Amino acid sequence: MSVSVDERHEMRIDTEDDIALVRRKVRDVAKACQFDVFQSAAVTTAASELARNVWVHAGKGNAVIERITDDTRSGVRVEFHDDGPGIESIDRVMAGGYSTANSMGLGLSGSRRLVDEFSIDSAPGRGTRVKFVKWAPY
Amino acid sequence: MLFSAGGAVDPIPPGCSIQGRHVPFRTVKRLPPAQSVRNSRDKPRGIYGRVRANLWAAGVRCGRDAGKGVSMDHRRYMKVLKLDEAEVQARRAFFELTDEDLQRLAGLRPFAEKNTDAIVEDFYRLLLSHPDTKKFFPDEATVRRVKRSQCEYFLGLFGGKCDLAYVEDRLRVGIAHERIGLSTKWYLGAYRKYLQLIGDHLFEELRDAGRARQALESIQKIVTFDIALATDTYLAAKIETIERHQAAIRELSTPVIRVYDRILLLPLVGAIDSHRANQVMDSVLLKVSEAQAKVIIIDIAGVPVVDTKVADSLVKTTAAVRLLGASTILTGITAQVARTIIHLGVDISTMHTLSRLAEGIELALSLVGKSIQATKTAARARRKRKASRR
Amino acid sequence: MTGTIPILRIGRTLLATVQTDLRDNVANAFQQDALSALEKGGMSGLVIDISGLEAVDTYVARVLVDTGRMARLMGAATVLVGMRPEIAATLVRMGYPMEGVDTALNLEEGLERLRLQTRT
Repeated sequence: MSVSVDERHEMRIDTEDDIALVRRKVRDVAKACQFDVFQSAAVTTAASELARNVWVHAGKGNAVIERITDDTRSGVRVEFHDDGPGIESIDRVMAGGYSTANSMGLGLSGSRRLVDEFSIDSAPGRGTRVKFVKWAPY
Repeated sequence: MLFSAGGAVDPIPPGCSIQGRHVPFRTVKRLPPAQSVRNSRDKPRGIYGRVRANLWAAGVRCGRDAGKGVSMDHRRYMKVLKLDEAEVQARRAFFELTDEDLQRLAGLRPFAEKNTDAIVEDFYRLLLSHPDTKKFFPDEATVRRVKRSQCEYFLGLFGGKCDLAYVEDRLRVGIAHERIGLSTKWYLGAYRKYLQLIGDHLFEELRDAGRARQALESIQKIVTFDIALATDTYLAAKIETIERHQAAIRELSTPVIRVYDRILLLPLVGAIDSHRANQVMDSVLLKVSEAQAKVIIIDIAGVPVVDTKVADSLVKTTAAVRLLGASTILTGITAQVARTIIHLGVDISTMHTLSRLAEGIELALSLVGKSIQATKTAARARRKRKASRR
Repeated sequence: MTGTIPILRIGRTLLATVQTDLRDNVANAFQQDALSALEKGGMSGLVIDISGLEAVDTYVARVLVDTGRMARLMGAATVLVGMRPEIAATLVRMGYPMEGVDTALNLEEGLERLRLQTRT
């Protein structure tokens, strides 16, 4: 299964307004994949959460939003990258859930539930890279 | 290869013949009747009427509507298969189909024109001698017509070109074959016979074994290119069929019924995997919002296995319905299901759950300020019976 | 009033209508505006119409829930009306079902709900 990229957008996340711009772009790409309204909302929200994490915790970073296709279906792939403080214990943060006050934990664990593939690479001093993919249904 | 239409259609579930253009399943809002059907005579009645109308709008044809839809054309196939200029070049490179080959093929055109009729005759002798391929040629007229098209097709191999236009042309043929239900093995067997026949004629015609072998190689390359396209077409068509069936299943598997003003009922039947569970939630929310229903009753008595995933999905659906401003009543709760839900550890204090659907309906009515009462005649009959017993 | 979310007064009820894409600063400003309006006194209810809200995330959701809680502390019941199906589904799937705030299908039902609440 090889994946090809049909569309690619790179966006900076420097200000609070950029979060909304990332959201909008993701929604547009989701539409191009012919996501239904539920999937579109899911992927838009996930992107919004993660974009906010970048802005709140690192102050700046970037997002790469791609429309991809493998042999049978199309989807949206988004990758966020920042050179912020990094996450010390990813597992603990991800297990946070909405009962904690930790906004990052909520955003990460919540987003993960909304998408199909999710990966996070982060460590103190190494910045953070979060990537997810949501596929259109078969 | 060219076979006639009129054979079997691809396998379909009993009771519903489904053809039509693929449109990914979108949320189809409630359609005003005049727009949702072709004419007012077909005004959708009842739940099945509405389901069929929604499917029609999504490009799926059911039952007696089968065959009236639009079909996937070669352009869409090219998109699905990602057949662009780059892909064509990549395939040519892998099959080693060079410009030299194409020139050689163009040079062989006179040979092809001279021998095609004879080759086609031999070819159809094979097809008509096997019952499985013979059935695609029900009568003489069909055979004649197809033989003509077949000649054109063979000559097309010697056009000297292999570009997007060529691909489009070949795809049209592949699509026609797929549509009539011709399986790939017959297709491949037919190509094999063709190569054998043309090889024989080549060696006879060209005398020089070296040149003949070269020519045959070029022909094999372009035939390979064609076969790749044809098999791709089958794949794309199957994918499309699966998507259509999925859409139909989605629509049919969550039949939300309006039992009363602002009260909806969803009888869930059959196994629910996580995929279907998601669809159920989406469907429920759409229908509640569309109907502005105050209550939706979800009856799960017909679901054979309710594991933690399904239970969790039901709990989530209840929470989501609450966010819309409506209530959910879960009925058909067996002891086992009750246990599963409790073990989930979620807060069920605000959930309405009952074991019997009838109780669910009574509760739903009370939530909208209505109730079921015995009628006067029934009460009078009861009093009479009581009096006569004394 | 600052911000771009209009807040109307209908008797003793405040009605706010949220548009398509709620940016953080607009959400924050809305919370400020709603609370100042409630502070003026005499209000018993706050209806937030989110039928125009197309996208949501936990930040926006939290602002709405907190606004509701703060309003309650100030003596006004809050109800969210008209949430879109896909928003409800996304919130619940994320694990943030917005407990602690009342909901209703539409404005009419929202007002009815407030009326019932203030009676008790």
